[in-house]
Amino acid sequence: MDFNPCMKHQLIRKTVREFVESEIKPHVALMDKESRFPWEIIEKMKPLNFFGLQVPRIYGGADLDTISYAITIEELSRVSAALGLCVTVHNSVGIFPILKFGTPEQKKRFVPEMAKGDSIGAFCLTEANAGSDAGGVETNAVETQDAFILNGTKIFVTNGGVCGTILVFAISEGKDKRNHASVFIVEKDRPGFSVGEIEDLCGMRANPVSSLFFEDCKVPKTNLLGRMGQGMKIGLTALDTGRIGIAAQALGIAQAAFESSVSYAKERQQFNKPLSKFQTIQNYLADMATKIDASRLLVYRAAACKDKGKAFSAEASMAKLYCSSTAMEVTGLAVQIHGGYGYSKEYDVERYFRDAKVTQIYEGTSEVQKMVIARAILSKPS
Amino acid sequence: MKSSKDIWVFGDYRNYFQNRVTLQILARAVDLATSTGGKVCAIVFGHNVNEYVAEYIAHGAQKVYVMDDPRLLLYSLETYSKLLTRLAKKYQPETILVGATRFGQEMAPRVAKQLKTGLTADCIDLEINEKGLLIQIAPSFGGNLIAKIITPVQRPQMATVRPGTFQELPHDYNASGKTMIEPLPDDLPEDRIRLITSEHRPSKKQKIEDADIVICGGRGMGSKGKFKKLFDLADLMNAEVGATRPVVYSEWISHHALVGQAGKNIKPKILMSFGISGAIQHTAALTDADFIIAINKNPNAIMMKMADVAIVADANQACLGIIKALKEKIRD
Amino acid sequence: MLNIIVCIKQVPMVSELPWDSKTGTLKRELAEGMMDPASRRALEAALQIKENQGAHICAVTMGPAMAQEILHQAKALGADVGVLLTDKRMAGADTFLTSHILARFIQREYENFDLVLCGSQTSDSETAQVGPQLAEELNIPAIGYVSQIRAKENSVEAQRHVDDFFEILNMDLPGLITIDLSAYKPRYLALEGVEKAFENPDIRIIDAKKLGLDDSFNALKDSPTRIIDVFSPTTQNENRVLKGAVKKVVDQLFDEYGKVIGSAMGKDLKTHEHDEV
Repeated sequence: MDFNPCMKHQLIRKTVREFVESEIKPHVALMDKESRFPWEIIEKMKPLNFFGLQVPRIYGGADLDTISYAITIEELSRVSAALGLCVTVHNSVGIFPILKFGTPEQKKRFVPEMAKGDSIGAFCLTEANAGSDAGGVETNAVETQDAFILNGTKIFVTNGGVCGTILVFAISEGKDKRNHASVFIVEKDRPGFSVGEIEDLCGMRANPVSSLFFEDCKVPKTNLLGRMGQGMKIGLTALDTGRIGIAAQALGIAQAAFESSVSYAKERQQFNKPLSKFQTIQNYLADMATKIDASRLLVYRAAACKDKGKAFSAEASMAKLYCSSTAMEVTGLAVQIHGGYGYSKEYDVERYFRDAKVTQIYEGTSEVQKMVIARAILSKPS
Repeated sequence: MKSSKDIWVFGDYRNYFQNRVTLQILARAVDLATSTGGKVCAIVFGHNVNEYVAEYIAHGAQKVYVMDDPRLLLYSLETYSKLLTRLAKKYQPETILVGATRFGQEMAPRVAKQLKTGLTADCIDLEINEKGLLIQIAPSFGGNLIAKIITPVQRPQMATVRPGTFQELPHDYNASGKTMIEPLPDDLPEDRIRLITSEHRPSKKQKIEDADIVICGGRGMGSKGKFKKLFDLADLMNAEVGATRPVVYSEWISHHALVGQAGKNIKPKILMSFGISGAIQHTAALTDADFIIAINKNPNAIMMKMADVAIVADANQACLGIIKALKEKIRD
Repeated sequence: MLNIIVCIKQVPMVSELPWDSKTGTLKRELAEGMMDPASRRALEAALQIKENQGAHICAVTMGPAMAQEILHQAKALGADVGVLLTDKRMAGADTFLTSHILARFIQREYENFDLVLCGSQTSDSETAQVGPQLAEELNIPAIGYVSQIRAKENSVEAQRHVDDFFEILNMDLPGLITIDLSAYKPRYLALEGVEKAFENPDIRIIDAKKLGLDDSFNALKDSPTRIIDVFSPTTQNENRVLKGAVKKVVDQLFDEYGKVIGSAMGKDLKTHEHDEV
């Protein structure tokens, strides 16, 4: 067992860090303030393969392993959690289900454009009456002779305002007269599809999270992903992968808040000595460092399980649960260490604090993660 | 021939009067020679170079070796380094000092290689120790440390010296020195580099080097956008903007603004230093600043210790505050 | 097709090295490594030549095993071969011996090279000496601080701006060029490149023996220069320290030093608000 990253993973980290530090970091505060999605930065990100991280090369991707993927999201989120969110959602719940469940024709039709970054992916499950409980979904798909007609409203869709390819979770009545969930691929220019208002959220403000409307939106039968009724399976598989990304994102936020705290503690003088000389502050920093380290190990373990083809659902949930709560604790302490400055927009830590919270909510709340973990524990023969 | 105790200074006269490094090194060589006992010699290659020979004698050279030939009209790295090597083999000086101009930095390493001796780059001081060895003092390890370096065995001892490090001696009209005319060897190989065009293009850098007020910014300014505020302040103060190496590497400002090693030395009446910790690569270039105002969140930064006035504050905030105050205070 | 050798170096990523003030030693192991910025620009120049007219690029570095990272990086960026010259007996080489070791490698393994590219100076030691000394030992011409190269059949044309002269020079090949820090802004590395580089992770590793260096060769001992002392430059100065709210300290600054500042600006500054008439 080797806990040191190999040279490849180190180089992945440095490669991403170099880019985000110089091309993204200078703009992050303003992006957040203006709630602006930075298309010009997206253009610069495209040639570096941010939008096809694990996509096979035949479809124009970088074909990275999952640990490299997690490191990429971590480093991106260390500087901009909102862009980290955009990229991880695009890759994990946008592209991945098509690669895993799509027909060869669908892969050829959708994946290359998405891997290039020319079409940003979104995945929509949540509705006014359905979130953690996917059974409450009301968006429906009616099968006609040559197509499906979608009707319904999805809310809180990450990348909603900028997406080009949308995976829609909808129900239809089966021959058994019961509702079955399926996933449909919808291109943004389909008549009947429209984007609602951008949500005014606490954090992740540079990501245009929005509602999406489907009004008699007609998609060809070739846009059904997987089989009819396979929706739940596709959704759960996508979310397992997505959770590694969100865990990595939370880790990146925590890391940023921690680094800022260390440098502030060394620099800021109170009672004629730097904050770092006070034991209370030292205790805070020690707790932060320990939890971040534990978080990192959990994320990489989940990623390694996935790379080895092992079951990783519980591991991904543990990583997501722990990383998101670490992010919340660490960013809270970071604000505390920074005192009044930490509460001010002049420093970045208040943004980390706002961005961190949602990592405990989306792609399965912490409570849902515990359900997944508990189910895995209890299903083992004792 | 046995080795002499002489200290040689390479006469780098291109771009004279701006480039005064040869005169500055001559001044230090005169000092060093008082403890080592050798003669201070200048080496001049070129064509119609009498005025430089006279200038070097007036600034401390006791002997000048001259090669004057139309074929030497242009500065040629290959030819000049071969000639200097041959002269050094012939007369065996104890020490050869070369100004750390770009030309000097290219030529000296080649000469040192041919003479199979050591070379210290970009010295910021030179001393003689009790054994008579030349102590070559140069920034090291990324500029946070200063190293003392010697060349214990090989001769000559060689160093390049950063322009602006030493004060030149006043022009002495009564000084006399011996001029040694050396013949140009006729077996010089053909130059493998040909000059196609050459144009004197002084870069804007003179401005910062001569400016009365220089505003230097470091990483502590926070971001490229915030760094730009320094230009607003500079406009108000008729000042020039300089920067540290990390700032230049981050491309917040072009390389021309670099103050310190591989960049400019400055001598302003007032230096305002924003968010700079004070690596030696940078601070060594500030020794001639009359009055330093440093702004940094960390009161223990070296730059803050160097300053006449140390303001403990966020550099960017202070910059905005000073701009605001000045706008109110400047009488039209 | 040109045969290009690019000399690169791994340097500490931070500009301020962790330094133990008690023992006076550098904690180099605490600093992460990266490809020296100037040598990365030299590599960029080589990559552009390769794209425009075809070239074989060998990236070579001397350093400890961890320096392999920058060779993988160079390959990810487009170098064809990565070579690590590494040996305990090479450690501590000054520029005289570093250039000797590099020259030895090139003479033994790349006799048919056309062009050697180096950065003008490394960000850690900044001597700018290895390039010129390598050229001297290989007995080839060299041009330093170059901002633009145009490679031809048997020569290269190089532009540079040095000592206030803008020059265009033509140099016979084989030759050596050092690339200025202001030129050849390096491209970012695509993640696909990293993944691919590690799919074929061959790095040639060459030690002192394989280079044919004497058994007695020891760079630390044999270097003509010797570091006898290293110290931290600390300047203690009696100075005025102002602290507190920004508005307060700025007012204090002008109250106490307004005259000095005004005279350097060549302007008369109002000393106080109530000074207005």
